[in-house]
Amino acid sequence: MSYQVPLKEIRFVMNELADLPAVCTLPGYEDCNVELVDAITEEAAKFAEGVLAPINWAGDKGNKWENYTVTTAEGFKEAYQQFQESGWVGLRAPAEFGGQGLPALVAMATEEMWCASNLSFSLAPLLTLGAIEALNHHASEELKAVYLPKMCEGVWTGTMNLTEPQAGSDLAQIRSKAVPHPSGDGSYLVTGQKIFITWGEHDMAENIIHLVLARLPDAPAGVKGISLFVVPKYLVNADGSLGARNDARCVSIEHKLGIHGSPTAVMSFGDEGGAVGYLVGEANKGLGYMFTMMNHARLGVGVEGMAISDRAYQKAVEYARDRVQSRELGSSDPNGVAIIRHPDVRRMLMTMRSQIEAQRALSYYTATALDRAATHPNPEEKARNQALVNFLIPIVKGWNTEQANEITSLGVQVHGGMGFIEETGAAQYYRDARITAIYEGTTGIQALDLIGRKTFSENGATARAVLAEVQAVADKLADLGEAFAQTRRNLEAGIQAAGECVEFILAKFGNEPRLPAAGAVPFLKLMGILLGGWQMGRAALIAQAKLAEDGADAEFLSAKLVTARFYGEHLLPQIAGLAPAILQGAESVMALDEALF
Amino acid sequence: MKVLVAVKRVVDYNVKVRVKADGSDVDIANVKMSMNPFDEIAVEEAVRLKEAGKAGEIVVVSMGPKQCEETLRTALAMGADRAVHVETDAVLEPLAVAKLLKAVAEEEQAQLIVLGKQAIDDDCNQTGQMLAALMNIGQGTFASKVDLADGSVNVTREIDGGLETVSLKLPAVVTTDLRLNEPRYVKLPNIMAAKKKPLAKKAPADFGVDITPRLTTLKVAEPAKRSAGIKVASAAELVAKLKNEAKVL
Amino acid sequence: MAILVIAEHDNASIKSGTLNTVTAAKKIGGDIHVLVAGANAAAAAAAAAKIDGVSKVLLADGANLAHPLAENVAPVVVEVSKAGGYSHVLAPATTTGKNVLPRVAALLDVAQISDIIAVEAADTFVRPIYAGNVLATVKSADAVKVITVRTTAFEAAGEGGNAAVENTAAGAEAGLSRFVGAELTKSDRPELTAAKVIVSGGRALGSAEQFSAVIEPLADKLGAAVGASRAAVDAGYAPNDYQVGQTGKVVAPQLYLAVGISGAIQHLAGMKDSKIIVAVNKDEEAPIFQVADYGIVGDLFSVVPELMSELSK
Repeated sequence: MSYQVPLKEIRFVMNELADLPAVCTLPGYEDCNVELVDAITEEAAKFAEGVLAPINWAGDKGNKWENYTVTTAEGFKEAYQQFQESGWVGLRAPAEFGGQGLPALVAMATEEMWCASNLSFSLAPLLTLGAIEALNHHASEELKAVYLPKMCEGVWTGTMNLTEPQAGSDLAQIRSKAVPHPSGDGSYLVTGQKIFITWGEHDMAENIIHLVLARLPDAPAGVKGISLFVVPKYLVNADGSLGARNDARCVSIEHKLGIHGSPTAVMSFGDEGGAVGYLVGEANKGLGYMFTMMNHARLGVGVEGMAISDRAYQKAVEYARDRVQSRELGSSDPNGVAIIRHPDVRRMLMTMRSQIEAQRALSYYTATALDRAATHPNPEEKARNQALVNFLIPIVKGWNTEQANEITSLGVQVHGGMGFIEETGAAQYYRDARITAIYEGTTGIQALDLIGRKTFSENGATARAVLAEVQAVADKLADLGEAFAQTRRNLEAGIQAAGECVEFILAKFGNEPRLPAAGAVPFLKLMGILLGGWQMGRAALIAQAKLAEDGADAEFLSAKLVTARFYGEHLLPQIAGLAPAILQGAESVMALDEALF
Repeated sequence: MKVLVAVKRVVDYNVKVRVKADGSDVDIANVKMSMNPFDEIAVEEAVRLKEAGKAGEIVVVSMGPKQCEETLRTALAMGADRAVHVETDAVLEPLAVAKLLKAVAEEEQAQLIVLGKQAIDDDCNQTGQMLAALMNIGQGTFASKVDLADGSVNVTREIDGGLETVSLKLPAVVTTDLRLNEPRYVKLPNIMAAKKKPLAKKAPADFGVDITPRLTTLKVAEPAKRSAGIKVASAAELVAKLKNEAKVL
Repeated sequence: MAILVIAEHDNASIKSGTLNTVTAAKKIGGDIHVLVAGANAAAAAAAAAKIDGVSKVLLADGANLAHPLAENVAPVVVEVSKAGGYSHVLAPATTTGKNVLPRVAALLDVAQISDIIAVEAADTFVRPIYAGNVLATVKSADAVKVITVRTTAFEAAGEGGNAAVENTAAGAEAGLSRFVGAELTKSDRPELTAAKVIVSGGRALGSAEQFSAVIEPLADKLGAAVGASRAAVDAGYAPNDYQVGQTGKVVAPQLYLAVGISGAIQHLAGMKDSKIIVAVNKDEEAPIFQVADYGIVGDLFSVVPELMSELSK
């Protein structure tokens, strides 16, 4: 059995925890309703299971670069064509350019499916959407008219060209240049080298639209002198047809640890004089424009982490059911049993499962906040949700992806020696997951963002508001009685610890920023674990209430209760180990003399 | 030329059904339901005929509880033009379904009626044949190829030992086999559009058809598990076992 | 009580499914009559008369019955069934039986009970549902029970009968359908995922030449498709599209013969749903034996030739 979309779970999370019915009442989403979304998720699931999952393994064999062109892995080109023709690229793209304009929450459900079934593949449409979003917000109407319809349709894909060899997390170091085209037609000639360009070159679409950060001749130094340009692989004629090949070439592709199906290009612009580019928005504001879509992109990577974890979990469960080894502990029957009967294997599977469910809930909850922040008619609600989104996104991105490394590693572990053998397939998920904690801002960058801009800069307002909501759930957990007493105590201890950490950050970040920064990642993890517990608590309360309903899905709801309880008893206690490190451990982080490393 | 396609909502083919503890029935509460895969092939065939300019309107019909609407919407998203839902919570046996389908087909004046060769829940493989009998028209069962001409249809049928082609006068019934086509993946814009296509509601009583079941299920059980394997001493013993015990030769 | 069995035949002889169906009829109990509907089918009727347990054969002989078109055969069965007052009408659950019998049931306004695998009582039968994952016991309230029989579930009836052959009306051409042609199975091997029998070879074959020399003749003998383990494919003994396993093809034939395959987990994942698994391996500890219904511990180069000669007997 290959990847199966957990539709029941996804629908529970969307409808019950992320309040899809309410999202469907937001302005612009009136055509959306639960039945329609059910149909969409159903068909998306078929596509993910039937088309994308089967070629995931072939993707691991990688792409071929030859003579500046990239041939994608077997089956990818055909799958992309089917994906594009099926209209999936434009699901949350603007309706005025041919997209369906559906909520971010609905998009997240489908994106989870693309990522879980084939992480490498999913990056092509994901990057295209990022480019669409940037152009839609900042480009001139002329540029939008030329590029957006084809991109929303998926006929052209998009890329993000940010990183240069000397400019990674610190984009102030960007050196690529753009000069006005000598013809005076208003375009620019772009030169420079960009690296780590995901899907920067491939054979799946007829054109590739690169969004490139570069400096204009008179630009100020640093981040305030970076502009954003559209550089198409093929120039577009006035009638919309494709014209000359632009001076933008993929000079090689990287050899990576994972996501081998996704070509990571080294792009060279202007080897023959300059690639024709068009300025997006105003000069020198490029980096700000990139931040517009960063929230969505980072949330997207958080979903990648959760999704690949789910794929690894499903694989591990399948193996644990099949693999017969050793007799059952405490049994007199000498025959071996499926290893899923062994407590430690069970612990691993529950650790995987409960975290994936918590992450899914927190991710979808954040997507709903994103939808509300975008379109809520009440300005206060809009602002409150924007602040919530800003606070949650580094947590979702950082925590989901850090845990993806652990969860996919557990996936390998459940397989024992077979897990270490590539053909088994578990190793691919482990390797593929690794990048998610790195790109779109490493966990360290996320954590710094969380304690700085998202906590200290707003004086802890959102952090405290969120903790108050967690407290409300902890109070309600009393209704679930003795079974959840320990979970409730652990949740309350977590709230207490998180509160202390927030106060510590607020007190220190101004004068001694290195102290909270030393514990920033542990704080991000602490918040991830706690907020995951918050969502699992909500899930448990809803599951208990729904169990009493007529025709309730007792099997699913009871499993949710068990998983929530496991989370409360096994994951929440980890907070107690993190808080002291954050509060008291900062000095030792920096104490060792640099020379002694 | 109008095509009528009948679709059934069944337990998804990926679900391994379980027997209720009391052995009275299978437990399908809260399991994933989908369109019967053979019926999906039937919808696909009708849509292909339409795309090839050989068929006009495609009407899709389903019988059963409220949730059959979802199945009909899927068929509409695949390309059917409108839907008829004969809504009932009653148990419908193939004979009753055939009688209801006859009424719908006559009302619609359908020239071609396409449906799956069998439903993957009850595995009956009867409805199409019964419908053709009741309407006194030809039947092309287990179709692997459908060639529509003026006033007739040639159907290539998958039979034991190979293929057989029959020519049927229209109107006719075609039941689909696995190799007839590969159903398309539904396009997102078509899912959105399907919500707006017409879906008419009917009840069995509207057709004056007796749908009383003729069979009673006394019990259901899971088949005996595979017995532990044995070692045999010789090729002769093996062949004997395969012939007489396993009955696979 | 009399039971009517619809014979499957080629006008000259009776097809074996009819014999299993007669056995099912015996389990129900009562006089067993066989209807042979065909064209110039006297020889088939004579053969039917010899089936043990059959007390009468009815021959409906007419040009309209040259091919078993349901539109022409069903009215004949209905007429015979009404005239004879039969309590049961049975046919083998072959593509012919499945095509004709529901048409008969509808014309009689009764339910059909498809694909029975056991007879519990004259009105109660066991049949598989959900692709055989569940067995349902159903009781019919109809006056006439129209039934198709899963032939593999019943023994074939033997010879020894001496029934009278009576002619009966062949009915008219219904004018609804016409036989155009048939394309019966080519000698080519079946496609791997659709095959009823698969012979798979492993690394123990030792070379591409030995793989062809040992596996292919056995497959041809059994009308089987040829598969291979990943190890055999990797070693170049067999082409890629032969690979059965997690990363190759997933198969579930009636009979899977694993020859010289040790049974790595990835391989088992691709074939463990086969109905009957047979393993031939030198190593009696090979994991393949844990899933095999029948195993032979021995050198495949001597076991396979023995198997070939046994199969020829």
